[in-house]
Amino acid sequence: VSSRYGCAVRKEGIAVAVRTHVATGAGRLVRLVLRKVAHRQGSQLPGRVALAIDPAAISGLAARVRQGCIAVSGTNGKTTTTNLIASAIEESGLSVASNRDGANMAAGIASALLEHGPDWAVLEVDELSTVRVMGELRPAYFVLLNLFRDQLDRAGEIDHVQDTIVEALRLSPQTTLVACADDPLVWAVARRAARSGTRVLSFGVASDLHVGRDRVSGARFCPECGARLDYAWHTFAHLGSFSCPTCDFSRPEPDFAASEVEVSPTGVACMVEVSGRGPARLRSGLGGAYAVYDLLAAWAAAHLAGVTASSFADTLSSFSPENGRLEHFRVRGREVVLNLAKNPTGLNLNIGLMLQDPRARSALIVVNDEPNDGRDVSWIWDVDFERLQGNSVTPHCGGERARDVQVRLRYAGMGAEIACDVAAALELTEDVARDGVLYVLTNYSALAPARQELLRLEGRR
Amino acid sequence: MGKRTLRLAHLYPELLNLYGDSGNVLVFRRRMEWRQMACQVEEVHVGETPSLGGVDIVLIGGGSDREQRIVCESLRKAREELSSYVADGGVLLAVCGGYQLLGHSYLMGDEEVEGLSLVDLYTDRGSPRLTRNLVVASEIARRPIVGFENHGGRTHLGPGVTPLGRVLSGFGNDGQSGLEGCRFANVVGTYVHGPLLPKNPEVADWLIARALERRYADASLEPLDDSVEIAANQAILDRLGVDA
Repeated sequence: VSSRYGCAVRKEGIAVAVRTHVATGAGRLVRLVLRKVAHRQGSQLPGRVALAIDPAAISGLAARVRQGCIAVSGTNGKTTTTNLIASAIEESGLSVASNRDGANMAAGIASALLEHGPDWAVLEVDELSTVRVMGELRPAYFVLLNLFRDQLDRAGEIDHVQDTIVEALRLSPQTTLVACADDPLVWAVARRAARSGTRVLSFGVASDLHVGRDRVSGARFCPECGARLDYAWHTFAHLGSFSCPTCDFSRPEPDFAASEVEVSPTGVACMVEVSGRGPARLRSGLGGAYAVYDLLAAWAAAHLAGVTASSFADTLSSFSPENGRLEHFRVRGREVVLNLAKNPTGLNLNIGLMLQDPRARSALIVVNDEPNDGRDVSWIWDVDFERLQGNSVTPHCGGERARDVQVRLRYAGMGAEIACDVAAALELTEDVARDGVLYVLTNYSALAPARQELLRLEGRR
Repeated sequence: MGKRTLRLAHLYPELLNLYGDSGNVLVFRRRMEWRQMACQVEEVHVGETPSLGGVDIVLIGGGSDREQRIVCESLRKAREELSSYVADGGVLLAVCGGYQLLGHSYLMGDEEVEGLSLVDLYTDRGSPRLTRNLVVASEIARRPIVGFENHGGRTHLGPGVTPLGRVLSGFGNDGQSGLEGCRFANVVGTYVHGPLLPKNPEVADWLIARALERRYADASLEPLDDSVEIAANQAILDRLGVDA
């Protein structure tokens, strides 16, 4: 009986291996065809094909990654942080598989893993997809950046997102969680995960950044007992040095801390401690207070993957996003800045960024409501568009829900015209800002078309 | 006659503001200001018991389960106050989770939570969540009411309660009856969550008019240019193939 049993297991094992092999081959073939014939990157379809043949393909593919996987999740900053970590590891001389373009559900992750035998995999993972992929991916590190209200109609409520991530971590017990110490919603996940045995490291900003606070913040109540949280300081939105007055829930002392943080229109800089080597200065052209967290999280993950501080600093100095995250374009002598802004926090941060820019500014705010954007655009009412008033920023609106944005701006005290694309917005702003800069702020599905249009207008394509 | 003023009490904005509910406050405020009226907004915070004497409009938004649970206790202490306010013809707008709180009870997971019993209705749960654009024909507006719904609860109206309207597209109260929301005295409850009023200026004006009627015995309202709001309302109707 035992031999027959053993034989069956072996046969099944071989069948699984064969299936993964076939799935991988088919996925790679699709990718090759897409790249050579259709000139497309193939961030989804190859993975979708591989998963159709072998639903557990991620498990087989992840097993071929030589040193380890790093997964990155959270509401804001996933793509930038993933790109930073991937670039940093690559620059230290290792090969990396990564979904740099932000295709972050199972198909996108499988597509990225089709790369031939990488040393590391650095993968952005959609919050709700964590539970689908973590048990198979079994990453060495799971970076959780922040949790905000985002795409609520798809994600349900933030409580559900937290439950999902806790469950995903339970499915991958060897994973170390690298969590944002300053975000009470993240820290609530970390505490729950730690109770079920997950090892937790944390990163955070060591002092008050003295940045202006926006109007809406998602969580100011203790996730464990419901009391109103006290804050010694805020860094942005609901992030800061929090503590609960009635129970023991409070911001931990972070393992990776950023001190002497400087935020300016040209970028951010901070000091980090490196164990045994003293402090190191990190500097980046990424804009906005929130970039400090992307930087710090990327540094923590890169450090854990063996990257030195000086090598990481080099990566930062040459890092220029080419994915529509604060990407700069020049169209007929005018500067255009393209950035993703897909929720209130993202747009509020972008508004802050625009207001810091001393030049004449106009903005095109593009809101779509495709499934991956969230069908519900109620969130635009949580954006502080009022700050644009009287600040010589001329707003325009675009996208499938341009008319909703137009109503929102009307109630913020501003008339705004609708522009069907970037070219139309440039035309509309010709007179007011000939030497000025146009900020194009779009949510998820509108980003790639806007970027393609800008490349075309610039003459790069 | 001096400047007409209305006082608006926004209940627990820090907890019941899941889907841009502050948009409704802004619409009330602006539409009064544009007509040379004053709108005083008072926020009632958790732990505080609202005092509704002199209040003209009460707003209750939607929260997550966790947040609604925190609010529930505070609200129950305010039950008597709210109940007299409603009996006195006070205007109350409750959306989404706030709408559920108006009834006798609702379900949080499997646990039955006692509501305010301001309106004869109750809410149980169903699967799946009802999530999509919603269009409703209502007597209080000539144009259809448009918005977004996202709720696991199924709300059932008692015999004496009028629905806000009939569902033209979407799910509404329970996904089956074809009814959406409730109307009782000057109370409006609806699953059109968050920013209900921006794309439905007639609903905003109807509520303002009811409050003016009660305070000043004069519901007259100067018309405004609502072309931007109407275009946004029409865009949703066009997309869903509903006739205005």
